[in-house]
Formats: sequence, structure tokens, C-alpha cells
Amino acid sequence: MSKYIKTIVMAAVAVLAVAFPFYTGAYPQSIAQSVLTYMILAVSWDMLLRTGQISFGIAGFFGIGSYAAVLSMLYLNLPPMLTILIGGIIAGAIAGLLGIAVLRLRGMYFAIVTLAVAEIFRIIMTNLKGFTGGPEGELLPQLIFQGNPYLTYYLMFGMAVLTIIISEIFLRSRVHYALTAIRNDEIVARSSGVNIFKYLVIIFIVTSVIQGMTGGINAQTYGFVTPESSFSLDYTLLPLAMALLGGIYGTMGPVVGALLLGIVSEYLKLYIPYGHLVIYGIIVVIVILYMPQGIVGLAARIRKAGARNE
Amino acid sequence: MKTSKNLQLTIVGIAAAIGILLILWKPSVLIYGLQGAGLYAAVALPMALILGIVGIINLAHGEFMMLGAYLAYWFSTQFGIDPLLAMIPVLISMGIVGVITYKTTIHRVLGAPELNQLILTFGIAMVLSQVVNLIATSQPRKLSLDYVTASAKVGELSFGTYDFIFVAAAVLFLAGLLFFLRRTKLGKAAVAVGQNPKGARLVGINVDRTYLIIFSIALGLLGIIGTLFLTSHSIFPLVGGSYTMKSFCLVAMAGIGQLKPILWGSLALGVSESFIMSFQGYGGWADIVFFAIIVIVIISRAYKRTES
Repeated sequence: MSKYIKTIVMAAVAVLAVAFPFYTGAYPQSIAQSVLTYMILAVSWDMLLRTGQISFGIAGFFGIGSYAAVLSMLYLNLPPMLTILIGGIIAGAIAGLLGIAVLRLRGMYFAIVTLAVAEIFRIIMTNLKGFTGGPEGELLPQLIFQGNPYLTYYLMFGMAVLTIIISEIFLRSRVHYALTAIRNDEIVARSSGVNIFKYLVIIFIVTSVIQGMTGGINAQTYGFVTPESSFSLDYTLLPLAMALLGGIYGTMGPVVGALLLGIVSEYLKLYIPYGHLVIYGIIVVIVILYMPQGIVGLAARIRKAGARNE
Repeated sequence: MKTSKNLQLTIVGIAAAIGILLILWKPSVLIYGLQGAGLYAAVALPMALILGIVGIINLAHGEFMMLGAYLAYWFSTQFGIDPLLAMIPVLISMGIVGVITYKTTIHRVLGAPELNQLILTFGIAMVLSQVVNLIATSQPRKLSLDYVTASAKVGELSFGTYDFIFVAAAVLFLAGLLFFLRRTKLGKAAVAVGQNPKGARLVGINVDRTYLIIFSIALGLLGIIGTLFLTSHSIFPLVGGSYTMKSFCLVAMAGIGQLKPILWGSLALGVSESFIMSFQGYGGWADIVFFAIIVIVIISRAYKRTES
């Protein structure tokens, strides 16, 4: 019964999301686009988190993808869709090299390296003035799909659906059970013969490709890159807060969190233009301290408690 | 054992050779490198203290220094006192901030997975920098103090001498911490807690109180550094972020729980940074030295671990 309802709800949400651009104006549509962007980043961040490794480098791979997409279009004249793919490939390649180097170590080393990634590439993009336009960044001569908002929305929507599917596949894979075992007790998992390192690297690459491609789509949609906006802290902090609030270690949590916070954030931006990030910081702290299972986890617990009472 | 001694001698020899070459070629690089190294070491020492004893990696480290700097700015502009004098109220306020932060947040995640600790301190960092951003705006602030411009002249070369205060601070911090940890009862208890909290509890040490005290001492030290930082640098809400990473880099190079090697590590980093800055037009690349070194240090650590 409950599975039946779940399917109906999901179908309804999908229909709503597909039909969305047709019955709303330009402003809600741009909000929806940014919600989708953050949703992808939140889900991909959570995918890596499930392995017991935490990344603070979402903005880094997002920015790398943005720059790769814009620069490959400017210098190589490639079609926009291809440049988005290149954004993902370059982000994935960098993640692969870093991952092979660092993923053998305890979580904190990996966390710091990912924190440094965004900084390193922001500095490179700011200083390679001849190639990247320096602090002013680069402008694209024309937007993807000639700036058609329907098509850009569907492009991001497609990316979100793809990310959710990949996330669900990972959740159902044997690798996932091994990784959950690792997260809960690494020594037990290691002595049971699970080769964790290979899976960690693969998942890190996959999530970075997703983040890079999302950056590429975003850059192609808005037609510019600058070091400050492409490597903005928002792209790390918001997805993190969204995933935590919604509930980590699953697909549903980050999706719910992104919908909720993504819409709220638009209003926050209007009322507190400088410093609205403080809200996300507070959410991160409070969720970690008081409800580490997030909204989805809380809802599941309430439902269970309700079932027990009946 | 013998090979490691030889290796040490070789490293010292190479470092000395580089030092002598630098003195002959670009003496200013060495001077500014030394001054920069003092600042890095002084900021990194409290992080090493927290990581070594409380056992958590504080990603809000640089932000606490930033908070100290803003407090010093507030005290000195509000009451018209010299920022160096403001150091005393800043030290006390940062100690209190330490107690509050520990009691309300850190204390609750001590037993939690490392991921939760990392996310929590990352969240605290965001809250600190954004609250300061809301209250003080992102406009950079700087005090103009006449003693900061003090300079000395040796032969042809003239350089600012004030920033040697960071070298003095780093050496004093290290000496003070080593004395505290080796000679005082509380310090010895803290070392015991750092090595084995369960054992320390068994022999009657109040582990929780020790954590609280160490965390507050570390934040107090950051308050002092923040004040010194304010006297010669301009401050803005995001100024601390890179110091978190630089401190971690030094702590990771030194090895967890080690204090002395931080001095040598920061010397190497400070000098190489000022070396790059000495080339006109390439100063913007200096920051990348650190991040490159972070990655190299961590990779070499991974390599060591696979070997052993």
C-alpha cells in the first residue's frame, strides 16, 4: 500500500516538474533552475558522504567545470553540449588524481585537500590572466540554446534526474553495502576483504564529474565565468546545508532539503543580501547537534512511532 | 636510526645552503620569510594543541583568529586604547568564547563520528565569518599605528622590523606551551588525556574539564594572535579561512601532537612564499605555494602509510 502511494507521489512530482515552465513566469523558473542546481550538488555530495569521506570541494569542481566549459568553447569553438561534457571530464580527471593520492588517508586529510581544491583553482583562474580573463573572467558570445529558458530548464532537470538515478543505483549496489560497512566500522570491513580504496576513487570521480557538468551547464546558461562567482562558497555551503537538513545517507534527504532550502534561500537573498549564508551555517550546526538524521529521518521515525501506537 | 640521523643532517645542510644563497642573493626574502613564518607558526600552534589533546580538527580555527582581530578592533576603537593593550580584554573574551563554544557544540560531538566533527566545525566557521560580515560588513578594516612602520637599515637594505613581533610570539607560544605541558600539573594531565582519555579518566583526571580548559586556552592564544594580526594587516570577515588551511598544513607536516616541528615547517613555508612574492607581478601565485605543499605533504603521508 505505502509503496503504491509512494509511486503515485513520485509520478505526480515528476509531472509537476516537467510541466513547471509552462504555467509559470520567468522568475519562478529561474528559482526552479537554481533549486535543481543545488539539488544535484547536494545529492552528489551525499553520495560521497555515504562512503565515510567528506568533501568540502563542491565549489571547486563546480568552478572547474564552469571554466572548462567556457574556455573550451571560446578557444576550441566546440558545441555547447560537448563543452559541458568536457567540464565533467576535466573535473573527474582532477578528482581521480587527487583521490588516488589522498583517499587512503583518514577523513580529515581528504576533507582539507578538498577544501584546498577550490582555493587552488580560484587562484589559478585569477592569475592566468591571458588565458582565463583574470579576476574579470570571461563572457560567452552567446548562450546555450540561444538562451531559451525552457530548454535550459530541461537540461538541468535532465541532469538532476540522471544524478538521482545514479544515486539510487549506488544505493542498491553491493558496493553500497560494503561502503556502509566501512562507514560503520572500517576495520571490520577491511578485514572482511572489501577493497574500499578502488570504490572510493570511483565514487569520488563520479560525483566530481556530476559537479563539473553541473558547473558547465550553469556557465553555459548564464554565459559567463568569474573566479568569485564560479568558485563561490555558496556552492559548497548550500548543498551541504540542504543535504544535512533533508537527511544524509540517501537520495530523498538531499532532494527534500534542496526543495525546501532552495525556495527559502531566494527569499533570504532578498531580505538579507549580505550575510544570508549565516542561516545555512546555523542550520548545519543545529542539524549536526540535534537531528543528525535530518527531516527525512525524523519523518520516518515519527511514522514508525505512529505505526507502533496503532 | 643512523639513516634517519643522516637524513636529518642532509636536510639541515640543504636548508643552510639555501639560506646562505638567499642571504647573498635576496636578503629581504629571508627577512620577510622569517616574519611570515612567525605568524604561521603562532596561528598553527593552538590548532596543534586542540588536535593533540581534544582530538578534533577545528575547521573554524582561522575564523576564531578573525574574531579575535575584530574584537581587538572593537575594543581599541570603542575605548580609544592601543590594540596591544586591548590584547588583555580580547584574551579574556576569547577564553569565554572558547568556554561557550565548547559547552554548546564541541562537547556534544566528541564521541560522534569524525565526519560530524568536521561538518560541525565547518558550520561554526561559516557562522562566525557570516555573523561578522553581517555586523561589521565586508569592508576591510585597518588601524594606522605609527610604531608598525618602524624599520631598520643594514647596509643597502632597509626593512620593516615590527613584524618580528610574530616571530617573538611564536617562540613565546611554543616555550609557554612546552612549559605548561611538561612542568605543570594541569598540563601533564592534559597530555595524559590526549594520549589516552579512558586511562586518564581511570586515574582520576577530569577529562571533560581538561578538554574545556585546553580549548579555551587555544582560543585565548588565537585572540592574542588576532590582536597582533590586526596591528599590521587589514582584516575582513573571510580573512581567517586560509589560515585554517595553512595551520592544518603545518600541523600535518609536523605530525599530530607535535609542537616543535611546526616552527621548522612554517620557516620553510614562509621563506618559499616570500621568495615567490619577491618576483614582480607574480605575487598572486604566492598563495598557491601553501596549497601545493598541503597536497604534497598529505600525499607523502599516504605514501608512507602504504609503505609501512
